[in-house]
Amino acid sequence: MKLLIVEDSIDLSRSIDTYLRREGYISEIAMDFREALDKLLGFTYDVVLLDIMIPKGDGLRLLEELKVINKQTGVIIISAKDALDDKVKGLELGADDYLTKPFHLSELHARIKAVYRRKHLDGDDKLYLNEITIHTERMEVSVSGENVVLTKKEFELLLYFATNRNHVLSKQSIAEHLWGDHVDHLDNIDFVYQHIKNLRKKLIKAGAEDYIETVYGVGYRFAITLNTSSSN
Amino acid sequence: MRLITKFSLSYLLITILVLSTGGVISYFIIEAEVDKEMSRQFYDRVQRLEELVERRTETEEEFHLFTKKIPDSANDRRGIIIRSLSYPVKERVEVTDTMIWHDGLQRMERSIKVAAYREIHNRSYYIASYGVLIESDDIAEAVIKTLLWIFGLQLVGAFVMGLYLSNRTLKPFNKLLHQIKDFKLKKRNVITATDTNITEFQDLSRFMEQMTRKAIDDYHNLKEFTENASHELQTPVAIAGSKLELLAESELTSEQLEWVASAQRSIHKLSRLNKALSLLNKIENQEFEDEQEVDFSSLVSESLDGFRELWELSGISVKINISDDVNLKIDPVLADVLWANLFSNAIKHNIENGRILITITNDLLKIENTGKVFEGEPSELFERFKKQNQSSQSIGLGLSIVAQIAERYDWEISYKVREHWHRIDVLFGS
Repeated sequence: MKLLIVEDSIDLSRSIDTYLRREGYISEIAMDFREALDKLLGFTYDVVLLDIMIPKGDGLRLLEELKVINKQTGVIIISAKDALDDKVKGLELGADDYLTKPFHLSELHARIKAVYRRKHLDGDDKLYLNEITIHTERMEVSVSGENVVLTKKEFELLLYFATNRNHVLSKQSIAEHLWGDHVDHLDNIDFVYQHIKNLRKKLIKAGAEDYIETVYGVGYRFAITLNTSSSN
Repeated sequence: MRLITKFSLSYLLITILVLSTGGVISYFIIEAEVDKEMSRQFYDRVQRLEELVERRTETEEEFHLFTKKIPDSANDRRGIIIRSLSYPVKERVEVTDTMIWHDGLQRMERSIKVAAYREIHNRSYYIASYGVLIESDDIAEAVIKTLLWIFGLQLVGAFVMGLYLSNRTLKPFNKLLHQIKDFKLKKRNVITATDTNITEFQDLSRFMEQMTRKAIDDYHNLKEFTENASHELQTPVAIAGSKLELLAESELTSEQLEWVASAQRSIHKLSRLNKALSLLNKIENQEFEDEQEVDFSSLVSESLDGFRELWELSGISVKINISDDVNLKIDPVLADVLWANLFSNAIKHNIENGRILITITNDLLKIENTGKVFEGEPSELFERFKKQNQSSQSIGLGLSIVAQIAERYDWEISYKVREHWHRIDVLFGS
């Protein structure tokens, strides 16, 4: 997957870049409107991460340009503003998603994958994690060919793990991914543990290996070494 | 006390003082004048008698005849006395003031007597005229009557003046007062100077205009600054957060991981604080102006699924009683924020296996939850950074946001605690 990061803060761009490179993606960085436009005209990207508050021109204008240049490119707006107006405007102009700063890199990654799936695979994608297969569109999971019944939250959790496999996912990031803004109000996010416990139980019972490990104090990691190359 | 009342009362008080002093002075002046005039009259009479005596009494016989015609009025109230004296006198006039018993009035009255000693035709005469002076009571009565009339006219004058002052002269002042009362920084309505020919009011009104303009500008700048600052903060927070996320994936000891996790928690809290403050700011700045009829009943019902897990995991039971079609005129974003803050507050500050009771009608939203006994003044929890438990991870802004939204729509809000039951009421349209 090829990505363009349009963001005027080089430190943030580099963090994103590092995270995505570990996933094996190719990503480039543009610092302002001119540079971003040059790159968009010269190359084709699968997904563009766009800070709408970049110097030398409004980010939303860049979005308009981009939609003319290549409709297939997915766009995720990253913004310090969580104003609903900007959100609506951005989505109206054809952005595929909107993420408010600060965000978890794992969350950003999950969004990138979701946009990519929507744009390029019509949402239809199968993830192969050794004996576990995740059918994203039908929201089905099977272990060694046997279907495993998961709740919606457990499915989303597994998909989040699968997307960010081998990364450390903080409890906070998991909670926000699954429950969105509601957890913003809560101090105690121990309920994340309940869901992980249930998911683990179900997967092991179905014959899968125990991939979910606890990273003490921080969160969890889906540690897996893929046996065969997968489709993504 | 109103200014105009104060003016009128002072005016009347001074009038009373002036009139009573003036009354005393008038009394003495009038009395002196009357006395002077009357003694002149008595003296005149004596002089006329003298002339008569001189013309008519050239002989002793004539005198006797003459005096017989004059009634002896020595005991009368008013009268004249003419006596011939058997000894020579030194010509002189004596005026005496005495008190004489007045039969008719049954009291002593001031009287005057003018007596002249004369040598006429080589005979000595004592010619006197006496009488009661104008009664002091009469003078006093006249003075008081006059003064009462004047006072009455003054009262009418004060009343008319008061009306005039408050309607005309004080009009610009009252208008200004009204504007000051209505003034709200947030509403940005400048107090405009009113033209008036009274220098003090003109100055005051100009000053108020300048001051409010400046206050509004300053407030606006400050708000803008706060808002920009909160946006600018998000990027560094995002950078720190992302670096910590990358760091957590490197080879770290469990102690180092604990440090990273702790830093992440702080970053998360910082970001939440920033967002909450920014939201408060926006509500204060009236940036949520999209007032619509929001179907609050549906909003609440639909949100419950999102919350369900959060309360079920803590073993909390929730009982909800919502009237259908509760419509609020509110910005939909704020409706959502209001509800989410109130409900998550009830979940967050609950106890293990606690309860939450929600009642929503067209007039009120009541949310009751079990919780820890709270010793302080519950309404303080609406203040910023006031928490039930100061050491909790909570940022202490959730209820301030609720209070701010309530204030924005002029809704009354209250927080009561009875033992382990906490209760928040929001009265719509109060």
